[in-house]
Amino acid sequence: MEKKHKKVFVQGPISPDFVARSIASHQSKTGIGAHAIFLGQIRADQKEGGAVTGIDYTAYEEMAEQAFHDIREAAFARFELSCMHIYHSLGLVPTGEISLFVFVSSPHRRAAFEASEYIVEEIKSKVPIFGKELVGEAGHVWKENT
Amino acid sequence: MLAEIAGLSDEVWTAAGGLTVGQFRTQVTEKYPAMRDKKFKIAVNQKISEDFVPIEAPAEIALLPPFAGG
Repeated sequence: MEKKHKKVFVQGPISPDFVARSIASHQSKTGIGAHAIFLGQIRADQKEGGAVTGIDYTAYEEMAEQAFHDIREAAFARFELSCMHIYHSLGLVPTGEISLFVFVSSPHRRAAFEASEYIVEEIKSKVPIFGKELVGEAGHVWKENT
Repeated sequence: MLAEIAGLSDEVWTAAGGLTVGQFRTQVTEKYPAMRDKKFKIAVNQKISEDFVPIEAPAEIALLPPFAGG
């Protein structure tokens, strides 16, 4: 059986404009009282060979999409949520730009706060996404979540 | 990371029946010794599997380096 998954992966950085439009598209959902938004931004960490200039993301896509689906289901079961959107970049995201956008909405703030943290932690530990940190002129280091 | 070591991203692995994940890991690191000092998990048919798990052929096996999403 083929499962339908909401599209999570986007090519390249997630633009602030996209985030703004996502917020705007919820104005008609008047049962919502609280949005929580988490944005992951590429940091210019110092490595041997220079500063990180960006991360090139790849994923084991089919398994990753299933993992995102499972995280969504678990979050809806656990928290009182009206809606949830997760977007993650693939390909190159330069330093200072956004690679992860988690957007949860709830009637009340507590569920929104808690769900956003839960979802981000689950993504970091359970979704097979790999990041090659580009360093200086030509080098790279593979990133590892802690 | 591991594909860079192997020089390829996909490979057909032929093995005797009853191979476990742990035995598969040993075979892979024998073929690609540079993987010995790399950390990776093994997914069988997109499910992360412990060393004792037997692999039923045909299976899609993936070597998964540390995750870095976010």
